Amino acid sequence: MAVLSMQKINICALKKDRKKILETLQRIGTVEVSDITREKEELEKIDTFNMRSIFDKNRTIAQNALDILEKYEPEEKEFLSNICGQNEISTDNYYTFVNESEEIMRVAYEIVNLSKSINDEKAEIIRIKAQIKSLSVWRNLDIPIEFKGTRKTKAFVGTLPQGVTELKAKEMLAEMLKDEDRYVLEVIDVSPEQTCIFVLCHIDAKDCVQSALREKGFAWPAFSTDEIPSKKIEELSQKISKIESKIKEQEKEIKSYKGQRNAMKFMIDYHEMRSQKYEVISKLLYTKNVFFLSGYIPKKYSKRLESVLTSKFDVAIEFVTPDSEDDVPVVLSNNKFSAPVEGVLESYSLPGKGEVDPTSIMAIFYYLLFGMMLSDAAYGFIIIIVCGFVLLKYKTIKSGLKKTLKMFLYCGISTTFWGILFGSYFGDAIDVISTTFFGTHLTIPALWFVPLKEPMRMLAFCFGFGIVHLFTGLFIQFYELVKNKQYKDALYDVVSWYLLVGGIIVYMLSMPMITQMLVLNFILPSLVGKVGIICAIIGACLIVLTSGRESRNPFKRFLKGLYGLYGVTGYLSDILSYSRLLALGLATGVIAQVFNKMGTMAGNSFIGIILFIFVFIIGHTMNIAINLLGAYVHTNRLQFVEFFGKFYKGGGREFSPFFVDTKYYKVMEDINNG
Amino acid sequence: MDSLGIVLALLGAALSSLLAGIGSAIGVGMAGEAAAGVVTEDPSKFSKVLLLQLLPGTQGIYGLLVAVLTLIQIGILGGSSDVSLGQGLLYLVSCLPMAFVGLWSAIRQARAAVSGIGTVAKRPEQMGKAMIFPAMVETYAILALLVSVLSILNIPNINI
Repeated sequence: MAVLSMQKINICALKKDRKKILETLQRIGTVEVSDITREKEELEKIDTFNMRSIFDKNRTIAQNALDILEKYEPEEKEFLSNICGQNEISTDNYYTFVNESEEIMRVAYEIVNLSKSINDEKAEIIRIKAQIKSLSVWRNLDIPIEFKGTRKTKAFVGTLPQGVTELKAKEMLAEMLKDEDRYVLEVIDVSPEQTCIFVLCHIDAKDCVQSALREKGFAWPAFSTDEIPSKKIEELSQKISKIESKIKEQEKEIKSYKGQRNAMKFMIDYHEMRSQKYEVISKLLYTKNVFFLSGYIPKKYSKRLESVLTSKFDVAIEFVTPDSEDDVPVVLSNNKFSAPVEGVLESYSLPGKGEVDPTSIMAIFYYLLFGMMLSDAAYGFIIIIVCGFVLLKYKTIKSGLKKTLKMFLYCGISTTFWGILFGSYFGDAIDVISTTFFGTHLTIPALWFVPLKEPMRMLAFCFGFGIVHLFTGLFIQFYELVKNKQYKDALYDVVSWYLLVGGIIVYMLSMPMITQMLVLNFILPSLVGKVGIICAIIGACLIVLTSGRESRNPFKRFLKGLYGLYGVTGYLSDILSYSRLLALGLATGVIAQVFNKMGTMAGNSFIGIILFIFVFIIGHTMNIAINLLGAYVHTNRLQFVEFFGKFYKGGGREFSPFFVDTKYYKVMEDINNG
Repeated sequence: MDSLGIVLALLGAALSSLLAGIGSAIGVGMAGEAAAGVVTEDPSKFSKVLLLQLLPGTQGIYGLLVAVLTLIQIGILGGSSDVSLGQGLLYLVSCLPMAFVGLWSAIRQARAAVSGIGTVAKRPEQMGKAMIFPAMVETYAILALLVSVLSILNIPNINI
């Protein structure tokens, strides 16, 4: 249960060591560099925007090259390999890659250019194919489309709208040109949309032939060439096959670079690292010979950093405890058991200034609540197996995912635990299988009780659990207030509520009506009940008198106090909200029973067994999936709304250190990056 | 008249799975449309928006649960189906909370889920919060489920 304590770090060193010092800082990765504002004239800042954009451009090129390689020659991937994190890179490889970086970048550009020209050529093929298509109707014409005639003749090559036969076309023209016969008409191609025709006439008759043709809707062809169409088509087809073979060659060339894949990955990381470094450089202040760096470091790392830096360079390092004005970033540090739920806390908000990290307390409740909602031993066991398998098999898994898997592993253990207590193994599968297929009645008795048979008892238990959860939340508030020496606030805001809510609960437990309703096998003596009600009254008075204590006006104060007392309804709804533990637990159990029942509908026969296995696998898979989602969402809700509502505000800023933030390779500490 | 009891009980079971199922179908459909929109822009958000899409689906399951529990209790799935008129009416009434709350809460929850999908589209790191808003609506479906289940389980103990 800890937020790491932070120190401000100021470093002053010689400019000539800048590169090496920054590299060391990046490798150690424990310092968050702040952007220092320039206060004095003699201090300068360096704008590294241009450098960074060059690195970013190189990184993008390498990334594109990698994507292109992936497209033409997909990398063979192991199942689930994309959940793995980075591989380590050896020192030798690192320097080989760095020395070859120009060559690698040349290859990257080459790959990108090749891919670009392939795309251009593919577009060219499409264009040529369109040309061929428009030419193909003229395939039977044995003169060029552009042919306009000879000295004595005039030629018309073009189309008429709609498909007409040669006879019909001749009739049409003859009708128009009653006095003229110095022409010939030939139909080249007919399709429903158009008729391609060739008309040749004497040069003297060209005007009347032209006007007759125009009247019939004659149009010149859209695509024209001075070659004979069939020849042109052949030429174009040859061009296509030439381009295609060129594309193939280029693809082959791209594929020949597949060995460079790792080099590309390295280039991406390398330029990313350099870009990050230059971003930090722009945050520093400089004089002629010296530079200043300021930032935050977790206190426990400061000794080590100091010894590393002072042993290698001439530096002045200063560690300052941050004052209340500073915007100190937050890092959580928890033991193995509770660290997995840090992600859940982060998704709500990191602890704000002066707040404790509730992770470790939350972890216990998180696992227990989750288990109660799923509450089936077999389901829990499946979750344990799956999470455990993935965790053991893939050691280099991404850290965020690793945390989540560990969280579900613990949740699975808790689910099994509650499942055994409540006697649920795939619902009532053991009962059902033994009665239907073996004719005996086998059952694993619940270690505690079966919620489906005694729902009220379970409900009472859920409320009890909820009260413990809420009171723990209140206690953290109490602890924080006492730690900050706000004793009065602790009394008014926490103890009063303990008295009121606790008193009412004790009083209710002494009423026979309530205990009978909740099937409790005990009842508090009425004397204790009376003490309870007195405590509640004292608490209520405290709340009415103190909740409006920031107002000076006594009347306003009293009204605010009454409103504060109204908050007791909030506690009622918070406690009732824990009934979801029962509801979700029942949902898991009953849905499982429904599937078991459906499976046995065909009775004890060969088909019956097949049906049962089929329904069993599909049904329970679905049930696990749905209830896992339900349990996850509602556990989060109980934590966020009911538990955090009692004490937690959050609003902390995440610590984002300057470190080697790479995608593919993990770079070792003793390597220098340029 | 005697046989009317089981008819009423069955009507309750049918209503519960019918209305809650309709609600979830509408809800999951709405959220699915929004989720598909996000995936066209950024396919890597698929798993996140899928979770949000599933949230309004639970009401249908709760409806099914209440329906099947009723079917088991009134002996339709084997056993004696001896239900008096009074008991039949009780079953019908017991199913109503799940039926109606299931219908409305699924649709309302879907609207919260659609907005949550919008949140995830712009700020994927806020997934945790985006899931809580629809889950708030679900609380009431759970309360209704609880009332329905507790009533149905206790009806055989009532002498009517």
